[in-house]
Amino acid sequence: MSKKYDAIIIGGGHNGLINAAYLAKAGKKVLVLEKRYVLGGAAVSEEIHPGFTFSVCSYVVSLFRPHIIRELSLVKHGYDIIPMDASYQPLPDGDIGLCKWGDAAKTRREIARFSKKDSEVYGEFNKVMTHMAKLAKEVIDHPAPDVASINPKELSSLLRMGKVFKNLGSELLQMNTKLLTMSSADFLDLWFESEILKGPLAVSGIIGTFLGVRSPGTAYVLLHHYMGELDGSFRSWGFSKGGTGGVSNACADAARSFGAEIRTNVSVSNVKIVNGKAMGVLLANGDEIDSKIVVSNLDPNRTYLKMIGEDNLSSDITKEIKRFKMRGSSGKVNFALNGVPNFCRKRKGLEYMKGDIAIVPNVDYAEKAYDQAKYGEFSERPFINIVVPSLTDPTLAPPGKHVMSCFVQYAPFYIKEGPEYWPKLSDKFGDAVQETIKEYVPDIDSLVEHRQVVTPWDMQETFGLTEGNIFQGELTLEQLLFQRPISGYAKYKTPIRNLWMSGSGTHPGGGIMGSGGELSAKSILKEKAI
Amino acid sequence: MSKYDIIVIGGGHNGLTTATILAKKGKKVLVVEKRNVLGGIAAGEEFYPGYSTTGLLHDTSGVRPQVVKALQLEKYGLVIENNRADVTILSKDGKSVNIQSDVNATAETISNFSKNDAEAYKAYQEFLKKISKVINDLMENPPPNINIENLTMASLVVLAKKGMMLKGLGNKTMMELLKVAPMSVADFLNEKFETDFLKAGIAAPAIYGSYAGPWSAYSTINLMLWECASRSYIKGGPQALVDALLKAAIQAGVEIHTGAEVEKILLDTDGVVKGVKLVGGEEILSTKVAASCTPKETFLNLFDDFELEYELDYWIDKIRSRGTTAKVNLAINTLVQLNDQTVEFARTGNSFDEMEKAFDPVKYKEVTDAPFLDIHIPTYNNPSLAPDGHSVVSVQVHQIPYNFEAGWSEEAKKKLGEDVLKELDIYSTGLSKSVVGMEVLSPADFEERYTLTEGHIYHGEHFVDQLITRPIPACSRYTTPVSGLYLCGSGSHPGGGITCMPGYLSAKMILKNN
Amino acid sequence: MPIQTPFHPRTSEHNKALDWKDWAGYFAANSYNVVSDFEYYAFRHSAGLVDITPLFKYKITGKDASMFLSRIIVKDISKLKLNQATYCCWCDDRGMVIDDGTVMRFGENEYFLTAADPSYSWFSRFIKKLDVHIEDITDSFCGLALQGPTSRDILKNMCDADLDSMKFFWTTDANSEGFKFKISRTGYTGDLGYELWVKNEDALNLFDAIWKAGQDYNIRMAGIAALDIARLEAGLIMNGVDYHGSLHALIPEQMSSPYELGLGWTVNLDRKPFMGQRALKKEKKNGSRWATVGIDINWPDLEKLYKKHGLPPHIQAGAWRHSVPIYHKQQKSKQIGYATSGTWSPILKKNIALATIEIDYAKSGTEVNFEVMVEHHRELVRAIVGKPQFFNPKRKRAIL
Repeated sequence: MSKKYDAIIIGGGHNGLINAAYLAKAGKKVLVLEKRYVLGGAAVSEEIHPGFTFSVCSYVVSLFRPHIIRELSLVKHGYDIIPMDASYQPLPDGDIGLCKWGDAAKTRREIARFSKKDSEVYGEFNKVMTHMAKLAKEVIDHPAPDVASINPKELSSLLRMGKVFKNLGSELLQMNTKLLTMSSADFLDLWFESEILKGPLAVSGIIGTFLGVRSPGTAYVLLHHYMGELDGSFRSWGFSKGGTGGVSNACADAARSFGAEIRTNVSVSNVKIVNGKAMGVLLANGDEIDSKIVVSNLDPNRTYLKMIGEDNLSSDITKEIKRFKMRGSSGKVNFALNGVPNFCRKRKGLEYMKGDIAIVPNVDYAEKAYDQAKYGEFSERPFINIVVPSLTDPTLAPPGKHVMSCFVQYAPFYIKEGPEYWPKLSDKFGDAVQETIKEYVPDIDSLVEHRQVVTPWDMQETFGLTEGNIFQGELTLEQLLFQRPISGYAKYKTPIRNLWMSGSGTHPGGGIMGSGGELSAKSILKEKAI
Repeated sequence: MSKYDIIVIGGGHNGLTTATILAKKGKKVLVVEKRNVLGGIAAGEEFYPGYSTTGLLHDTSGVRPQVVKALQLEKYGLVIENNRADVTILSKDGKSVNIQSDVNATAETISNFSKNDAEAYKAYQEFLKKISKVINDLMENPPPNINIENLTMASLVVLAKKGMMLKGLGNKTMMELLKVAPMSVADFLNEKFETDFLKAGIAAPAIYGSYAGPWSAYSTINLMLWECASRSYIKGGPQALVDALLKAAIQAGVEIHTGAEVEKILLDTDGVVKGVKLVGGEEILSTKVAASCTPKETFLNLFDDFELEYELDYWIDKIRSRGTTAKVNLAINTLVQLNDQTVEFARTGNSFDEMEKAFDPVKYKEVTDAPFLDIHIPTYNNPSLAPDGHSVVSVQVHQIPYNFEAGWSEEAKKKLGEDVLKELDIYSTGLSKSVVGMEVLSPADFEERYTLTEGHIYHGEHFVDQLITRPIPACSRYTTPVSGLYLCGSGSHPGGGITCMPGYLSAKMILKNN
Repeated sequence: MPIQTPFHPRTSEHNKALDWKDWAGYFAANSYNVVSDFEYYAFRHSAGLVDITPLFKYKITGKDASMFLSRIIVKDISKLKLNQATYCCWCDDRGMVIDDGTVMRFGENEYFLTAADPSYSWFSRFIKKLDVHIEDITDSFCGLALQGPTSRDILKNMCDADLDSMKFFWTTDANSEGFKFKISRTGYTGDLGYELWVKNEDALNLFDAIWKAGQDYNIRMAGIAALDIARLEAGLIMNGVDYHGSLHALIPEQMSSPYELGLGWTVNLDRKPFMGQRALKKEKKNGSRWATVGIDINWPDLEKLYKKHGLPPHIQAGAWRHSVPIYHKQQKSKQIGYATSGTWSPILKKNIALATIEIDYAKSGTEVNFEVMVEHHRELVRAIVGKPQFFNPKRKRAIL
């Protein structure tokens, strides 16, 4: 292998591909190496059962940055998002639950069936949250300022953040402090009284964390809900045509169009480090590929401890990276169904099911699911976020049949028998999910043609997400901004010269945003690292 | 013309502190106290004939030397030591650790069962020492005047950084502080220690008074505040402090009316304070009022509807003050040993999981069967509180919800008492058989007896958004949007517990403003 | 999807243009005909019938209802006499208007309130320990506005109410064949007119009785488009168009006080505390920053501009609702305000607008420059500041 690359990107997830695309667009010679047979990492579509395409892990798109779509001409390369109109909270035994729609007046009437007050406050709440989310965007779209530095450049970026807060005004600033620190349940109690409204809102604060809705520090994740920005319009969530892998494929296609080379089925065993400098990568088959820089799209744990190795790190850094909390808490169960899983036959039509369906009838339900997880068990009655994307994208399943994707929390990586016991629990876990759904869809058993259970263990083993954390590390305050993944190396650099990072484990964090890949590539180019 | 320059509502330790400092500056001060005894939750009570506690709360380690000095409390009989008392952390398996102010001696005891933890304890204390000055500065001064209109985050960070750096915190410690502060106390201590009951015992003070378990984020902040700020010991407990405060107050010329319950704070047509109206109809005029009762009691019960600005009303209403502490006072006919030791202070917890499990039911308005305990045996140092050879065991019980769904009936309280005894029997076999008298106070009783909103012993939870800008930003520097009304209780910075600091700092602010 | 009002079976029959709008979650006819002019003229020459069901409607009862409303509304509602109605607004702490509406007193302890925005949650947070009950009757009661010179005659022909002696902003009970309803002499056209309130069950009965009685008086269905023209001539502001309720405003600059909206006359300052009192007292003392005014846009100027392009002057059909900058008379780059809505007044033959303008330029007679778009070019025309009310016929208040 003599061909010399400017950059090798380890991991063909969406961030890695975006990183490659930006670097290639700038004229660099880029090689992406993906361990699996398919690109996308956790943003992947696979035909698990003949005729059925599953978004195996990540299943909705909301935070993807619009400027990346513009800058990489992603639409030309197949980026296609179908917006979701509804968000449904079913009730057991077929009772009519709560559906939130794009139409504000319609939503108001839905909520008023449960609480008149809440139906009106909901608008106010959305106003405040949207306002704060717009400001938070400032934070997402720039590398994190380094608080420890007194470099004027860092200070000016701090000042920009400061101005954001100043513009909030005193009332919103007060709300903002609460939002940043409170539990999502407590924060919602400031506004609402109806459980059916609070339940699904509250859980949006805990997705992917090992925290409960009553855990302090979960409220601000609610903001993410309001940053779902599709093509510039706020608060719209959507499905990627052809499954979530469609996003990754578009990114890959864009990267290729700029000249990047992408190889699958290539497993990197570690980064080749000489005198503290990354020189390329060593493959599992013993080959070496040289490059000027290496970008790891893997999570911080694997990047530091496997790709670099403790031998090449100071003990301080090793200690810091080991305390970066991963502890995955969720699983995925994907169903191939031979018919429509109707969550409420009392409702006319299926429009209400064309968005997401959240099984979390009240706040206590979510908290009790967490209580069980705290002591090392998966929740018997978990919070489930369900989508049936084949209702809006018929290409995903044979005619009349459907795919149902269930995001399930809690499924703690560290179960009491130890994480390696997970494969033995896989079926039981799938059964718990199916039993939970049965309370809403009594005929679910007869609909199931195939069931795929993805436990946190599978996420680690198959998708390389350490401890099965879907965000490559918990999104808690002490693991964000200048502390993601560790302070001093929060700007996509690592202690190894010429080794960079680009995944969700870097600022601004998880979800299909693309920011890690983009900001990392822009930092690399700005520093003229290649 | 009013007889008084200021009326202080509430004769607890903070109310008395404010009153006395103002009186010493020549102000004419009236304290009105609803109960017939002074001291609030710092007052000791005879809960069973012949047996007394030294206060609803136990801990006096936060009382500040500058308050003692300013009020000349030692002159009035206060005996204060500049080290906090030993606390014994109890384990169910009979082990215990005596946490002393001497770090090395403590580490020595710890090393009996874990070398790692002995070293970890030293490192932990080392870290606390580094941040202690910063934290104590924060606790001993009025909260920074954050003018929101002119705030820039940068100026704030630069200021904070300057402050921290100057105090020799150093970059590394600062980054460590930023890293650990938002963490749960369980995560924080799990990184360092390996012994479950030791971790639980160290963590416990961070949880007291919180609507939280050890796994709740941000509890590390509370641990640090407590660890850094607790460093004294008052002989005779809170009651001794109240005795000295009372003497100082009277000496300074403070007028005190007990059994005087304020019905409402009176405003003139411009919305400026003009006095108070007592239950019974008596109106006492004064252009200034300092309230040491809870902020919620002050604003939501002592004003008429619409008298206050809605925004003020709104934010006060949103203060979280969900009581999670109960009290069990025991009269025991023997001397008491816990895990075979004679001690004054002890804590149980055993493990984070067990503590967390004690908190879990609180979320569902239920009560745990296995609470964790903060134990004070006042007869250890002061046998006269009980008949000869007998003991008083005063227990703060955690986490016990105020809003118990089934209601705080006599049976519910009896059950709580029994559960506490069952727990105590583990550490002192047969203790329950030696009980001659018992008093159980639920959080609802706290509210009833001490006018503590929702039975919260700190007048509002110590949680990040309710610290510093305590209780709410608009009232965070003891002044309020109501002209002439000041706050001087635990609902203000630096918060609850027996420190006298809110009262002291409030008095200073009142003097500065007038 | 908006829902239908109880009048929908009738209004949909009349809506030849199929021109529906979403008004607060209801289908509301924007215009019943492709050309809406005659719907407007009905208001001024005969009678126009508007379905106003989408207004938010609340019934407020209880021993403390008078006191309660007086505390949350800037007007002293306790002074309202039985069967009297009043136009008013309510503010937040900062003295900024949340919404405006009409309050009617139907009993010693019973009030009826209409609002543009959902207001239940805002009002109910102040109930606390008071003996007050708020019932949202938006979905159970419906309303029709019958506005125009022949409206009284029509009503007299279909019910038993004594309308000859009923004054402007008073209400009465009425009976027609087999059903009861309420009549208030109120409206949004600045003309003689009434609003009729009835239980949903009787909606079609009411409609049919009016429609039948109206046949001899040239009754017409009128939509929102026509209503907009009429209310602009009458100088009546609209929430969401001419101002933003403070609960919806994102920044302080988007909020307005009653004084700034020309609603100073609805404020009773010197009485027991009410929401916004302190701030309003302060504003009264220190003065306001803005004023709401009427703008009379110079016609010959406009004519000239069109002529320059070889065109006859163009009149926009119907009213417009968007922001148009207003500039200083001499310093033409200095913006001193903005118009929020306007129309060509069919009877005054004037181009008029409602505008928010800096207080220094709010005096009647002040000349300003108004931005217009003529054949794709931005131009300025002269305009004169005046009172918002352009049209105020005697019949509006007259009693027989």
